[in-house]
Amino acid sequence: MGRHFMEYSFVSKSKEETRKLGAFLAPKFVPGDVVLLKGDLGAGKTTLTSGVAEALHVQDDVISPTFNIMKCYFKGTLPLYHIDAYRLDHQNIELGLDEYIEGDGVCFIEWPQYIKPLLPDETLSITLKNIGGDDREITLESNSKHFDDMVKKVKEVF
Amino acid sequence: MYSLLLDSSNKNLSVGLGSNHVLVDQISYDAWQKQSELLVDEIGKMLKKNHLDRKDLGEVVVSKGPGSYTGVRIAMSVAKTIAFALGIPLYLVSSLEVMKVAEKPTICLMNARSKRSYIGVYEGEKCLLADTILSNEDVLEYIKANKSFALSGELTQLGLSDQPVDVLANLLKGDCEKNLCREPLAAKPVYLKDSYPV
Repeated sequence: MGRHFMEYSFVSKSKEETRKLGAFLAPKFVPGDVVLLKGDLGAGKTTLTSGVAEALHVQDDVISPTFNIMKCYFKGTLPLYHIDAYRLDHQNIELGLDEYIEGDGVCFIEWPQYIKPLLPDETLSITLKNIGGDDREITLESNSKHFDDMVKKVKEVF
Repeated sequence: MYSLLLDSSNKNLSVGLGSNHVLVDQISYDAWQKQSELLVDEIGKMLKKNHLDRKDLGEVVVSKGPGSYTGVRIAMSVAKTIAFALGIPLYLVSSLEVMKVAEKPTICLMNARSKRSYIGVYEGEKCLLADTILSNEDVLEYIKANKSFALSGELTQLGLSDQPVDVLANLLKGDCEKNLCREPLAAKPVYLKDSYPV
């Protein structure tokens, strides 16, 4: 196809700024959107997700779903699903997660490489990298028109 | 003697009471992700409303799947428990077959996601294609090759419009020999999705 999709990197100087990115993206999501979260432990994946949750008025604190595999937040303006697929490496992944990924809300997925067959074609990837102190290099990569628009808007503000 | 009819295999929750193959009461509504909270309560309410005791139930008819991962397990668990506790027969019906329309070969469909659909084809008591999971492309081919067949269930994943289904009308007729579950405690829901290669 030769289409070039949007990619944008910037440095977040604090947890607050990372949370702000989440809050900025939140109202732009529509049901069925899937965001792939990448980054090491402590890179800020949960911080970013909690920013989304807050802006969606989810009312619950966001915690990492590493143990539970999935946490659902139903009370907000859009259902928020937070999946951590880390424990599904080399496991049967047919657990009904697809009903949430292709569901009625927005789905954030950590360690998406372990559930590749369940991922849709169109995703927004957000990679967080600890570059020392509180600084995090955040890279957004889109592979669709819908997410291109989102990345463009992030570029204007961050 | 009354039949208790249950379905939670997809987004809906359906509860019905049958007597001599006549539907005497029913509820059916979208209860996505809430079926487990509501099902037992709805059964209780329906018995009370019809001035019935649980001992008036003579059999349970439930859809066994395929369908939603959790959904197929909810009605099945409740149906097994009731059948076991009351010592009454349990009948398991395909959740695709319960979408068939009368007097017409019907292609019954449900969204299986990841570009796939659950499909089963029924004509009256005959099964023309046993419940399976196919890519949406293959399903569209099948529909094209069988233009005279009715379509029922979820079709938006195929770029078509969803068709209404009357699950309870079919569950009402589900208490036949082929659906009788000889060992209710061993009944298992049908999910059909094989594990992906790991």
